[in-house]
Amino acid sequence: MTNGENASTLEQLNASTSAKRYRPFAFSRIYAITINTVTELTRLKVFYVLLIFGLVLIGSSIFMAQFSFQQEFQILKDVSLGAISLFTSLLAIVATARLLPQDIEDRTLYTILAKPVPRFEYVLGKITGVLLLLAISTVVMGGAFLLVLYTREQAVLHTTLRQMSGAPPDQIADALRVIRSSAFNIDILPGIVIIYLKACLLAALTLFVSTFATSNIFTIVVMAFIYFIAHLQATAREYWLQEHGSGLITRVFLAVVALFFPDLQAFNLVDDIVAGTAISLTLFAKTALLGIFYTTIYTLLATFVFYGKEL
Amino acid sequence: MTNPAVAVHGLTKIFHVPFHRQSIVAVKELNLRIEPGEVYGLLGPNGSGKSTTLKIILGLVSPTRGRTEIFGCDSRLVQSREAVGFLPENPYFYKYLSGKETLLFFGRLCGLRGAVLKNRVNELLDLVGLSKARNRRLGTYSKGMLQRIGLAQALIHDPRLVVLDEPTAGVDPAGSRDIRDLILDLKRRGITVLLSSHLLAQAQEICDRVGILADGVLVREGHLQELIAIENQTELVIADASNELIREIESFVKRSNAKLIERRKSTTTLERLFLEATKNDEAGMSKEGRSRNDQRRKRFNA
Repeated sequence: MTNGENASTLEQLNASTSAKRYRPFAFSRIYAITINTVTELTRLKVFYVLLIFGLVLIGSSIFMAQFSFQQEFQILKDVSLGAISLFTSLLAIVATARLLPQDIEDRTLYTILAKPVPRFEYVLGKITGVLLLLAISTVVMGGAFLLVLYTREQAVLHTTLRQMSGAPPDQIADALRVIRSSAFNIDILPGIVIIYLKACLLAALTLFVSTFATSNIFTIVVMAFIYFIAHLQATAREYWLQEHGSGLITRVFLAVVALFFPDLQAFNLVDDIVAGTAISLTLFAKTALLGIFYTTIYTLLATFVFYGKEL
Repeated sequence: MTNPAVAVHGLTKIFHVPFHRQSIVAVKELNLRIEPGEVYGLLGPNGSGKSTTLKIILGLVSPTRGRTEIFGCDSRLVQSREAVGFLPENPYFYKYLSGKETLLFFGRLCGLRGAVLKNRVNELLDLVGLSKARNRRLGTYSKGMLQRIGLAQALIHDPRLVVLDEPTAGVDPAGSRDIRDLILDLKRRGITVLLSSHLLAQAQEICDRVGILADGVLVREGHLQELIAIENQTELVIADASNELIREIESFVKRSNAKLIERRKSTTTLERLFLEATKNDEAGMSKEGRSRNDQRRKRFNA
């Protein structure tokens, strides 16, 4: 291509482009960053390793020793929901920790922010991408768990029907009802939603830590500490309140501690589900709102720190 | 009165080193004015403050003192970036995206979509000679190809100002020449180019004006020809001159009380020699790239 040809091509290009006027907020920009983040994370080996490991654990819980079908279903729910919770939490931390440092290291952040893209849209696009990936993982693992549960329930129902073939119909119906109620109960679904919201909270907190961290290893180590402290936070708080009373200073101090170490034990509804205790709508709504509140606060804090960050 | 493409007023940037009492002055009281349509070269050794200045102009780093503007718009405001395309030094981009996907991504960030975006992407891939590699992942691109896709993303939203940080760093002479030609094309189109480089020969070929930074201070600035001209000396390049003619010119010079400083054979440049030597040794190069380079070489030799 000669210089003249290049120039005329550029003229045609410029005539054909109709870049829109800048808008302070555009869903299309956030959407572009979100989809790119999901693509980036699904290309990571760690995503598949965690997902496969979770699925294998859920699948293998069928073969765990059991004495009765109630015990079998209890173990299945306990192991599966525990696996979903652990692997979504791990994925939230590991996947989010690398997003900002990697973009800075590769200088891709410069090319993105040198376009008319506000920094809060970049942060919002990144976190939405992670939340979308966590939703996909939760749906896949949750779906696998429900499938395994349904398969085992059907197997137990068939065995029971075969064994009780000569029994009166009322007795058979009672036995089937007991099996069904101990296998699937509707509380499993809000339980999975809360597990997802816990992972969202951890992702947002990891994003916040990564805005001032120097490397993704640092972020992961800090998040590991926060994860363990946050699980013990409620116990420590109760102890503190017993020792020091509940004066204003104590309450402010505990609020600050609760901001950086959210009470993750509050998101643990697995024990109730396994025990067959009904999760009330109030408890579900309260826990869900807590998760959404923390996720929003951490995203806002991440945006605030990222705004002042020198790149 | 039209706004300058870039205006820098009393710019100072000091980086504080955490946990130390010392601080680093990267840029000191810098004033610049780049007019629309100019190719301006910001030159200087490593660590002289070139990249920091560019980052402040692009709003990526905040100044300690002073301010910068792009076409009259404060560069801390996001809307100032509407008019700017930027190619960073040694860009990596997302390795898992193909060339086409990369341009689509950056186009969407600039508000382009649909058929307009698709056409723009195809045309830019053509312009930078990457049509054949459009579906290859960037992880498989060479450095020169990455630089070209970087230039394409910088042009995706039809900017009025293109900022290039070391645009030919690590690129071979042929790729470097391609980028030079593209910069000259941008200039012809009236697009302002601000580039930083420490490759002086290349800056000399393409820049209208240059500024030389040393330790964050602008030590020289002006039109290139004015800066490098030696006022009392003149060069004559003569082809097919006989020995008699040369002797006559020399004696005329002597009679006129002027002084002949040097008489030497004209030489080619090392770059031209390299391009000639590698002309027929491009087995790995695409037909598209070969014909483009051939045309460029013919033009250059002519």
